[in-house]
Amino acid sequence: MRFVNIILSFIFSVYTVKLFDTGTIWQLSLGNYGFNGLVIGLEASALSSLFAIMVSLSWFIISITILKSDKKDISFSRWLPLLSFSLLLIVYASDYLLFFIGWEVMSITTYIILSNTLSKDALIKYIIFAMASALSILMAIVILYSGIGSLLYVDGHLSFLALNSNLRVALVVFMLLGLFIKMGTIGFHYWLVDSYQQADNLFSAYLSAVLSKMAIYALIVFLIEVVKIEYSIGLSYILAIIGVTSSIIATFKAIKEDDVKRLLAYSSIAQLGYILTVLAVANGLGGAIYHSIIHTMVKLLLFINIAGVITITGRSKLSQLGGLIYKMPHSFVMALIGIIVLAGMPPLGGFASKYLIYTSLLDSKFLLILSAMMFASVSSFLYVYKLIYGVYLGQPTHKKLESVKEVSIWYLIPQYLISLSLIIIGTYPALVVPYLNKILTQLNQTEIPYQNASILSANIGSYNGEVVMFAFIGIFAIVLLFLYSINSKTKEAKDRFDIAYCGEEPTVNTPLHYGYSLGKELERVGFIKIIWKNSSSHFYDFLAKSTINISTITRKLYSGNLTINFHIAILFAILILWLGV
Amino acid sequence: MVGGIKMVLIDLLMMFVVAYFVGFLYYGLYRNITARFQRRFGPPIWQSFYDSIKFFNKDDSTSHGAMFFLGPVIMMTGSVITLFFIPFFKDSQHFVGLSEYGNLFVVLYLMVLGALGNALAVGVSGNPFGVMGVTRGLSRLFAMELPFYIAVIALMSINGSADIATIASNQTTLNAFAYPLLFIGAMFSFIGMMGQSPFDVVGAPVEVYSGPAVEFSGKFLAILMSQSAIFSFAKLTLMVNLFLGGASGFLELLVKTFILFLFVIAFGSIYGRFKTPQSIDFLLKVPTLIAVVGLILAS
Amino acid sequence: MQEGFLKEQSVLEGDLNSDTSHKSSVDYLMNWFRGHSIFVLAYGTGCGAIEMPPTFTSRYDAERLGIRGSATPRQADVIIVSGYCSYKTLRRIIRTYEQMSNPKYILALGSCTINGGMYWDSYNTIKKLEDYIPVDMYVNGCMPRPESILEGFIELQKEIKNGKASSWEKYEKNYEFYRKNQERVLGNIVKPAYEADWYLYDGGV
Repeated sequence: MRFVNIILSFIFSVYTVKLFDTGTIWQLSLGNYGFNGLVIGLEASALSSLFAIMVSLSWFIISITILKSDKKDISFSRWLPLLSFSLLLIVYASDYLLFFIGWEVMSITTYIILSNTLSKDALIKYIIFAMASALSILMAIVILYSGIGSLLYVDGHLSFLALNSNLRVALVVFMLLGLFIKMGTIGFHYWLVDSYQQADNLFSAYLSAVLSKMAIYALIVFLIEVVKIEYSIGLSYILAIIGVTSSIIATFKAIKEDDVKRLLAYSSIAQLGYILTVLAVANGLGGAIYHSIIHTMVKLLLFINIAGVITITGRSKLSQLGGLIYKMPHSFVMALIGIIVLAGMPPLGGFASKYLIYTSLLDSKFLLILSAMMFASVSSFLYVYKLIYGVYLGQPTHKKLESVKEVSIWYLIPQYLISLSLIIIGTYPALVVPYLNKILTQLNQTEIPYQNASILSANIGSYNGEVVMFAFIGIFAIVLLFLYSINSKTKEAKDRFDIAYCGEEPTVNTPLHYGYSLGKELERVGFIKIIWKNSSSHFYDFLAKSTINISTITRKLYSGNLTINFHIAILFAILILWLGV
Repeated sequence: MVGGIKMVLIDLLMMFVVAYFVGFLYYGLYRNITARFQRRFGPPIWQSFYDSIKFFNKDDSTSHGAMFFLGPVIMMTGSVITLFFIPFFKDSQHFVGLSEYGNLFVVLYLMVLGALGNALAVGVSGNPFGVMGVTRGLSRLFAMELPFYIAVIALMSINGSADIATIASNQTTLNAFAYPLLFIGAMFSFIGMMGQSPFDVVGAPVEVYSGPAVEFSGKFLAILMSQSAIFSFAKLTLMVNLFLGGASGFLELLVKTFILFLFVIAFGSIYGRFKTPQSIDFLLKVPTLIAVVGLILAS
Repeated sequence: MQEGFLKEQSVLEGDLNSDTSHKSSVDYLMNWFRGHSIFVLAYGTGCGAIEMPPTFTSRYDAERLGIRGSATPRQADVIIVSGYCSYKTLRRIIRTYEQMSNPKYILALGSCTINGGMYWDSYNTIKKLEDYIPVDMYVNGCMPRPESILEGFIELQKEIKNGKASSWEKYEKNYEFYRKNQERVLGNIVKPAYEADWYLYDGGV
C-alpha cells in the first residue's frame, strides 16, 4: 500500500498543479434524467485549485513518511487514497450536490480509519458529531435549493436573495452549525481533541492539516459567494466574536494539557479561530487563505516531528519525556522552526500570515477584536514553549530516554522540505500574493498590493521580509563570531547534574524536569479558572440528560391502555386537521 | 547603490554604539538614583561598564552544550534587531536604521525574540530554578502586553499608518496629552517591560535563585547584560516616538528618554513586588480597562 | 593535623611567588576592572552572616566600592565564609566554590576560620579553613563589624589590583592536597552516579 500511496499522490500533485485555474473540467445537466434545471459539475477555479494543491501535496508528504514506517503505525494508509479522492471531489465541485457527496465520503472514510485505534467513547463522539454536521449541511443545501432551484455556486447569491428573511437566517444557522462542528470551534469541539489524540500519529497530521481546511474551504465559498458577507455587518460581528472567543479559550486549554497531541489539537482549534475571525471581516480573504497555507505546513511539520518522537520513545506525555535535544538534534531544529512559525514570529513565515490578518482587521476598524486576537496570539507563546521544553529541553525523566537514537531519515525528509519552504516564505513573504490576487479577483474582492516578492504590503504599511531575514542572519553571525573570539574559555558542564542547585547535589531521583507542568499557577487568575473548570462535556451531558428526562415524560403518555391512546390519537388528529384547514 | 549600503551599515553601527553607551550609562544612573532614594551613595555611574568588562574577562564560562552557547546570541540578536527597526529621529536621514523596511507590527513581534532565546538556553541547562523564572516571564508576558497592544492599535488606527516615523511626526500635541488614557494604560505595561516593581517578579534575584539568569556565567552573562541595556534603550526610544512626539536631535532624545526612565525607576523604587498571578490579574483588569476606554474615546 | 604551620604555608606558596600574575599592562587594566566590580555570593555560612546585611545596604553601603550581591555561584566572584564551618556547611561551600568561574576569591571572616575561634574544641566544626579551601583575605574579629568588613574588602581590592590574589590557581595546582583534607572530614565525597538504580516508575516524574 505504501507504493500505491506515494505514486498516486505524486501523480495527483503534478496534476493539480497543472490544472491550476483552468476553469470548468466537466459539467452535466441532470435535466435529461428528470431533475429539471439541476446542473452538476467540476470546476478548477483559482480557489479550488489552491486547496487541491494543498490536499495532494500534504498527501505526498505523508506518503514519504509512510514509505518506511512500521506496519502497525500505518494501517490507515489503505484508506488514504479514497479519503484524498473524496477531498478532491469536495474541492473541485462547483455545485452543492457533488460537494455533499464528497463530504459524506470523507466523514465515513475517516470513521473507518479512526475505528482502528480510537476507544469506543471517542469513536461514538466522532460519528455523532460528523453525522450532525452532515445533516445540518444537507438541511442548509435543501433550503438553498428552494430559492431558485439551482445548486451551483455561481447561482448561490441569487438563491440567497430569493429567500425570505426567516429562511435566510435558517440557512445561515444550519450551514454554520455544520461547518463549525467540522472546524472545531469551541462549543462544538467535543469530538476533536480525543480523535486527534487517539488516532494514528501520522493520521493526526492528516486530520489537522487537511481535513480542517475542507471546512474552511466550504466556509469561504459560503460566506463570500453565497452570503456575500461584506454587506451584512451584524453577521460579521457575530462571526468575529465567535472566532476570537474560540481562539482565546482554546489557547488557554492548550496551556493546561500534558499530552502532546492534545496540546496540538487545541492549538489547531485556536488557529482555525483566527481564520474564522478574519473571514468575517471585509477584505479579509487574503489573510485567511495565507494563514490556511501556513497552518497546513506547520501542523504537518509538528505532527510528523511528534510522530517520530513517539515512535522512538513510546511515550506521548510531556511528564514522561524530556532532555532529548542532544540525542535527536535534527528533530529539535525542525521542532524549533515549527515553534517559531506557530507562534508567528519574524523572520520566519508565520509572521507574514499574521501580518495580513492584523492589517485586514485594522483596515476594517474591528479594533477590539484585533486586540483580543493579538492577546490570543501572545498567549500562544506559553504552550509553544511548553511543547518544546517538555519534549526536547529539560532533563530526562527515565533511564530509557538516555539511550534513544535519532528518528529514521524518512521522518526527517518531509520536515526538511517543509522547513525550507517556511524559511523561503519568511524571506520572500509576497511569493504567494500573485496567486492570492487571482483568487481575489475571481471572487470580486480587492487585491493585495504587490510590488515584488520580498515586500508584503497592506493598506496600513508594508515590510520587507528579505531585510528582516538578512539583518537577523547578519547580526547573529557577528555576535557568534564575537563570542567565539573572546579570550575566556568555554568550560563544558561535567554532566547533566552539574547545575547551580543551591549548593546541593541533585541525584538521579531528584525530579528536575520541572517545567512540564508550565502554566499551572495561572489557575489563580479569574478568567483562566473559569475556562479550565468548565468543559463542553458538561453541556452535552446536560443535553443528554434533558433529552432522557423529556423522553421519560413523553413515554408516560403511553399508559399501556390501548383505548385511551386511541382516543388521544383521534383528539390530536382532529386538532391538526382543524388547525391546518 | 554601494554607497547606499555603506551608509546604512555605518548608520546601524552608530546606532548600536549609541544604544550600548547610553544604555549602560542609564543603568549606572539607575543604581545611583535608587541609592539616593535609599539614603546612601551608590557606585560610580560607570559601574555597569566595569561589570561588563570584568565578565568578558573571566577565565572560563560554563556552558551546557551548543544550544546554551547560542541562546545568548539569539537574545542579543533580538535586542539589536529591535533597535535597528526603531528610528531615533523622526525627520532625518541618519539614525533611522532599517525602519523604512519595517513597521510597528514587526517591532512588536521582534521584541519577544530575545525572550525566546533566553527560554531556550535556560531550558537546555536543565535547571529547574531557571525554568521557574522563564515560566513567570512567559505568564507575565501575555498580560503585560495587552494594554500596550490596545494603545498601539489605537494609535495606528488614528494615524492611519503603521510606520513609527509617521506616528512620531504626526503629533502636533504630544500623544501623551492628547490621548491620556491610552498613555496611562501603556505606561503600566511599560513599567513591566522595563523590569521594575511591581511587575518585576521574573528576575527576582534571591527569591527564585535569580530566575532566568541562573546558569549564565562569564561571557554569557556579559552578553545578557549588554542586550538588556540595548533593549531598554530601544524600548525607551519606542515610547518616546509613540507618545512623546519623537525627537529631532540627540539632546531632545536623551532628555525625553531620561525623563521617562526617571519616572519608571522612581515608580519601581517605591512599590513592592506582585506575585505572578496577582500581576496578571491586575494587568488584565485595571490597565486594560483604561486602555479600552481610551480606545473607544479616540476612535 | 600536620605540624609546622608556617612551614606548610611556605611549601604551598613557594612556587607561586615566581608567577607574577600581572604580566602586561592589559593584565593590569583587567585586574583594575576586576577589583572595582565584585559580586558577592548571597550565602551566609555561619553566625558572621548577621553583619553582612548592614554592610551591603544603606547603613554602611558597600555598593560605593562596586560590590553587590549575586544569587547564584555562576555569577559570583567572592564567597564570604562568615564564621565557623560545620562539616555540613563545608560540603556546600566546597560544591559552591567549585561551581564559580575563575578568577574567584574567598574572604574569611572571624577567628573561627583562622584557628577554630570560639568552637576550638567542637566535634563538628573545622578548625583551619586554609586546609580545605584557599583563602585570600582574613578579617579577624568575633564577629567583625561592618567597618572591618569594608576594610577587608578594600584590602582585597588592593590585592586584586596587584595581581596577588590568586587563590584559585593555588586550588588547581594543589588540588590533591585539598581533596585529601576534604575527604578526611567529609567521608567519600559521592559524585552523582549514573549507575544507580532508576527508582522512577514508568509513569514519569
